[in-house]
Amino acid sequence: MSSATINTPTHRSTNNSGGVNFMRVLKSEWIKITTVPSTVILLAITVLVMVGLAALGAWSVTMFADMTSSVPEGVDMGEVPEISAMVASVPGSGLIFGQLLIASLAVVLIASEWGTGMIRSTMVAVPGRIPALLAKQLVFAVIAFLVGAGSAFLGYLVAQPILATADLTLSLTDDGVLLHIINTGSVLALVAVLAMSIGTLIRNTAGGVVTSIGLLMVLPILLQLFSNIAEWLQDAYRFLPGSGGEQMVATQIMDGDFNQWQGALVLGAWALVLLVASLIVTKNRDV
Amino acid sequence: MIEARGLGKNYGAKTAVSNVSFTVQPGKVTGFLGPNGAGKSTTMRMIVGLDRPTHGEVVVNGKPYSQHRAPLHEVGALLDAKAVHTKRSAYNHLRAMAATHGIPNSRVKEVIDMTGLGAVAKKRVGGFSLGMGQRLGIAAAMLGDPQTLILDEPVNGLDPEGVLWVRHLAKGLAAEGRTVFLSSHLMSEMALTADHLIVIGKGQIIADAPIKEIIDGRGQIRTRVRTDQPQVLIGALANDGVSSQQLEPELLEVTGVEPRQIAYTALQNNVLVYELTPLQASLEDAYMQLTQGAVEYQSQDLEPEHSGATAGEGK
Repeated sequence: MSSATINTPTHRSTNNSGGVNFMRVLKSEWIKITTVPSTVILLAITVLVMVGLAALGAWSVTMFADMTSSVPEGVDMGEVPEISAMVASVPGSGLIFGQLLIASLAVVLIASEWGTGMIRSTMVAVPGRIPALLAKQLVFAVIAFLVGAGSAFLGYLVAQPILATADLTLSLTDDGVLLHIINTGSVLALVAVLAMSIGTLIRNTAGGVVTSIGLLMVLPILLQLFSNIAEWLQDAYRFLPGSGGEQMVATQIMDGDFNQWQGALVLGAWALVLLVASLIVTKNRDV
Repeated sequence: MIEARGLGKNYGAKTAVSNVSFTVQPGKVTGFLGPNGAGKSTTMRMIVGLDRPTHGEVVVNGKPYSQHRAPLHEVGALLDAKAVHTKRSAYNHLRAMAATHGIPNSRVKEVIDMTGLGAVAKKRVGGFSLGMGQRLGIAAAMLGDPQTLILDEPVNGLDPEGVLWVRHLAKGLAAEGRTVFLSSHLMSEMALTADHLIVIGKGQIIADAPIKEIIDGRGQIRTRVRTDQPQVLIGALANDGVSSQQLEPELLEVTGVEPRQIAYTALQNNVLVYELTPLQASLEDAYMQLTQGAVEYQSQDLEPEHSGATAGEGK
C-alpha cells in the first residue's frame, strides 16, 4: 500500500483499494458468469434434463427387472450387469447429456470473450492473465460440480417412487451410490476444465465446441468402430477422457477396466495438460 | 507518464511498428496522429500489455503495465469501444471490471453518471449505438480514477455534445496533472484538444512536438490576394519562384511567402492590390504536409535510379 501512496499525487482518488488479488478476480469472474442470462438458462436446462433422464433411467431399470424376473430359471442371459449396479447408476443417467451441455457452455464462456472483444477488458484489468483464466476455470468447475452432483442427487430422489414400483431400492448407503452421485459432479467439473482449456486455445466458439465434443464423444465411437484394425486402439480407448469419465461413475467395474480412481486420473490428466497448455499459450500470445 | 524506448512490433513478416521512442508527459494532452495502419492502435495495445513488443519496451508510470499491482488505478484505457460482452448490461460489465480491483459499486455508479449512461446502464450492451459504446468504454477507463489515460479514437461516433464532453474531460484531466494520450482522425478536434503531438507514419515517428510548433513550422504560409491585374502578379511572383493559384478572376492564393513580400512585388510591378489576408495554417495542412513529406521522400529516393538509367541509355 505504501508504494501506491508514494507515487500518488494529491488528486489520486480515495478509492485506491490495494489492487488485484485472486479473490477479487474470482468475484469478477463470478459476476461475469452469472450476468449473461443465456448461461443461467442453459445451466437450469442442464439440471432439468439430467433429473429427467434419471427418472427415465429408473423407469428403464424397472422394465429390465420385470423382464429378467419373467425369464425362466436356467436360461442363459449372457453377461449382464448386476441389477443392483444398474440401480446404483440411475442418478447419473443424464451424464452424457450433462457433459454435452457443460462442455459447450465452458467453451462459450471463454471463446465469447474473444468473439465480443471482452477479453481485452479482462486482460487489461488483470494483465497477469493467468489469474483471470484460473478464476474463470475455478468458478465454472465449481458450478459444473454442483450442477452434476446436485442433478444426480435430485435424480436419486426422483427415482425412489419409480424404483419402488418394481420393489427395487436405492439408498445413499448402498455400495458405490454416494460415490456415483459425487463423481457425476466431478466428471462435469473436469469436463468443464478440459473444454474451457480447449476454448482458450482455439479462441473460437464453433471450433472449440466441435473440438471438445469430438474429443469427448466422437473419438471414443471412432476408436470402437475401428478397434479391430489394431490391438493398441482398444487399449488406447481406455485412456480417452470420455472413457475416464465413464469409469468414474461406474457402479460395477468389469474385468480389465479402470476403477473409479484410475478413471479420474485419466480424465484429470487430460484436463490438467490442456489447462497448463492453455495458460502457457495465453500468457505468451497477443490477446 | 508513458515512455517508449525502441518499441517495435512485427506480425509475422509485416512490421506494424518499428523502433519507436517517445515520452508522453503528464499535465498535458498528447495527441497521437497517423494514417490508418500507421501503428497507432498497435502502439496503444503494447502500452497496456495486450500485445507483446517484438523489441524495445514501454513503461507506464515507471513500470511495465503488467507489473503494476493495481493497473486500473494507474492506467485507464479505451482501446476498442466494443471490448464488452454484448449480452451483459453496461452496469454489470463495469461491476465485473471493478471487482478485480475491489473498486466499490458506488464508483461504478459514479462513472455511469459521469458518462451519461444512467438511462441505459441496465440494458444489454449489444443494443448500444456506437456513441453509447464509446461512453461505456470511457466509463470503464475512468473506473480506477487513473493517473494516465489512453484513449484510442474517443470521439468516434459521439454526438456533438459528447465530442465537447470528451474535449473538456481530456483537458480537465491533464490540468489535474494526469497524463492524457489520445488518438483521433479528426484534425480539427485534435487541434482544439491536444497540447502536444506525436505523429506516426508507416510505423515510425514523423514528428514529436508541441502542437503550435507543428502548425507554425510545418504548415506553409498562405495569403489571399485580391488584385485587378492577377496575371501580372502571378507572373511577377513566379519570377521570384513563388507559386500562386487563381481562385476567382481577381482572387489569388499565394503560398510560401510573407504578405509583405507579396505587397513589395506588387508595388514593384505597379499592380493594385486591394486585399491581402494571411490565412491561418491548420493542423490538417501541417499533418498532410508531414505525411506527404514521407511520400515525397520516397519518390526522391527512386529518382536517382531513374536518371541514372536514362543517362546510361544516353551513352
